[in-house]
Amino acid sequence: METAVLQVFRYDPEKDQAPYYKEYEVPVEGTLLNALLYIKDNLDPTLAFRAFCRSEVCGSCSMKVNGKTKLACKTPMKELVETWKGKPLRIEPLNHMKVIKDLVVDIDKPIEKMKTLIPWLVPDPRVVPTDPMHESIIYPEEMEAYKDQIHCMLCFSCYSACEAVADNERYRGPFAFSKAYRFQVDRRDIETAKEKRIRYAISGGLWSCVQCQKCLYVCPKGVKPAEDIQNLRGQAVKKGFTDKPGAKKLKHFVDWIYATGQINRLYLPEEVYGNKEAREKLTKAYTEMGVEVWEVPKPTKGLMKFRDIYLEILSKEDKALDLDYSHVRKIDKMVSDIFKADICTIVDKAHEEGRSSRGLISKLKGLLGGQ
Amino acid sequence: MVKVGFYQGCCFQGQDAHMFETMKEMFKRIDVDVVLLEETTCCGGNTIDEENRKLSYAINARNIALAEKEGLDMLVSCNTCYMVIAKAKRALDTNKKLRDEINELLKEEGLEYKGTSKIYHLLDFFRDVVGYEKIKKAVKRPLKGWKVAAYYGCHVLYPKEIAVDNSDNPSSLQEILKALGAEVIDDYEGKDACCGYHSFYTDKSMTLKKLNRILGGVKKVGADIVATPCPLCFKSFDIYQTNMENPPRVPSSFLPEIMAYAFGIDKDKSGLSHHLIKVEKE
Ligand code: SF4
Ligand code: SF4
Ligand code: FES
Repeated sequence: METAVLQVFRYDPEKDQAPYYKEYEVPVEGTLLNALLYIKDNLDPTLAFRAFCRSEVCGSCSMKVNGKTKLACKTPMKELVETWKGKPLRIEPLNHMKVIKDLVVDIDKPIEKMKTLIPWLVPDPRVVPTDPMHESIIYPEEMEAYKDQIHCMLCFSCYSACEAVADNERYRGPFAFSKAYRFQVDRRDIETAKEKRIRYAISGGLWSCVQCQKCLYVCPKGVKPAEDIQNLRGQAVKKGFTDKPGAKKLKHFVDWIYATGQINRLYLPEEVYGNKEAREKLTKAYTEMGVEVWEVPKPTKGLMKFRDIYLEILSKEDKALDLDYSHVRKIDKMVSDIFKADICTIVDKAHEEGRSSRGLISKLKGLLGGQ
Repeated sequence: MVKVGFYQGCCFQGQDAHMFETMKEMFKRIDVDVVLLEETTCCGGNTIDEENRKLSYAINARNIALAEKEGLDMLVSCNTCYMVIAKAKRALDTNKKLRDEINELLKEEGLEYKGTSKIYHLLDFFRDVVGYEKIKKAVKRPLKGWKVAAYYGCHVLYPKEIAVDNSDNPSSLQEILKALGAEVIDDYEGKDACCGYHSFYTDKSMTLKKLNRILGGVKKVGADIVATPCPLCFKSFDIYQTNMENPPRVPSSFLPEIMAYAFGIDKDKSGLSHHLIKVEKE
């Protein structure tokens, strides 16, 4: 029978001075949970871990294998052996939580953090009948908006893998934001609660998420916390919470991409942090290196049609007014001042001359009569 | 000669326009003709998704459609652009209603998203299309004695649906660096941490902490340089590192630069001499 070596984290805070690792030889058969149960039944009854349903439902058997978060009852031993090419498998408890014993961690902290985001329905009396004898109907189309999020089983895999939790103590955790978002898109939930959730989400680190996508990767239930966080950020801006750097960054992207098809890194520090020197410093550094500085991106061929598509989608989604037209006009003016031509002419010329990107901007300026 | 459509994103124009020339020259040496897809726009940087996901899908349906029009597969040499475009492709390929709705708009520009072009990132392109052997053969200046720390970045490994390698234990980057003759270090503290690039304008403190983890780890194992297949991770390492309180001053390289150098292209042309943190190693 094929076997593998598990190096299992052992620690009993009441008895042990420090954690240690103990090796067990287990059959490469079934799941990682089967292997742990094999240890408990045949090799060492003192090993502590949580598991209950054995079928990816209860969310209690999450742990780390060679540093990567896995749900034990969902992870075939064969897959682990293949991934790690026969190397020993180091089994450890989840990150960011206190160890109670061996692989069992204390989940109180993430639960408390989640509660700060009001992860429950605050009924809007105009929608939800107050008389308990009356049904409160949800239509299947409405459930589309949160059909994945409701499957979260609080396994804390995402919490353990999260890059934001690792470096921001206050960060509420991927699952917590998904739980909150689930009610943000529930028609039965009252507006005042939605407003509050956004406020609490912001103070709970909404803008600290680094968008690493690890939460999507580790979630055994197909919840996509990073995407819910993006949606919550969009809601925050829409509700007028526009003072945070992240909100200004979003505005930069929305306006510049519409106007030129690109973002403009030279202007990001200024538009987000009000840092005007950064552009001068960067310009100087690049010039010294002999690199041509593009004050504006090369306007893309097809830009005008691209703008139509962009605006059409925003209109369809009822978001056309999110574009800051005065900002767009400013960008347009900046572009035409630099090149001494209107944007359409520049687009055409840029394409004719576009084969080589070296020195493109000065070439264009020369052609069009700019400085 | 393999021909592939090159998606430039924001990292191969403006101040970084010279990087495309480097790419072109480097790829020529492994018999790949990279054709610049000039009419493409920014992928939205995973930020437009905050405004509206459908807008992000539409922008990238257009980007992909431009490659399809040329009858070419698309090579995306930025982790984030790759993730965003690959996610959009998945959404478009699995949701006919979405595809039809967006195609209706693309018609105006004479474009159509069909789903015929494959999307590659550098890593799977080098592994599956070029092959490590060919890379090895193109080396004129083996990176003998270079201790190179391999850093993947997140958006080529997560989420699973778009990963270009084994997400838990990837190997393509090490293989490429080995083919260049370098001594590869792939086990160091912080190797799995996020580079912090995307939080620089949302929560700067997060970026600096991430850099501390990764570059601190790289320094500790005594690597000469850290190499990454993502131009954004590279920017985080090279540019944002200078924002740290006590920068460890670890040199870094975008993978194609160090490849170009190993293929015999000089330091200036390969881009290696344009870094804020100088690459001293010869
Ligand atoms: S994407 Fe955000 S929430 Fe998800 S794991 Fe990364 S930092 Fe955490
Ligand atoms: S979101 Fe997924 S990974 Fe996170 S706690 Fe819920 S089920 Fe577990
Ligand atoms: S034992 Fe219930 S989820 Fe694994």
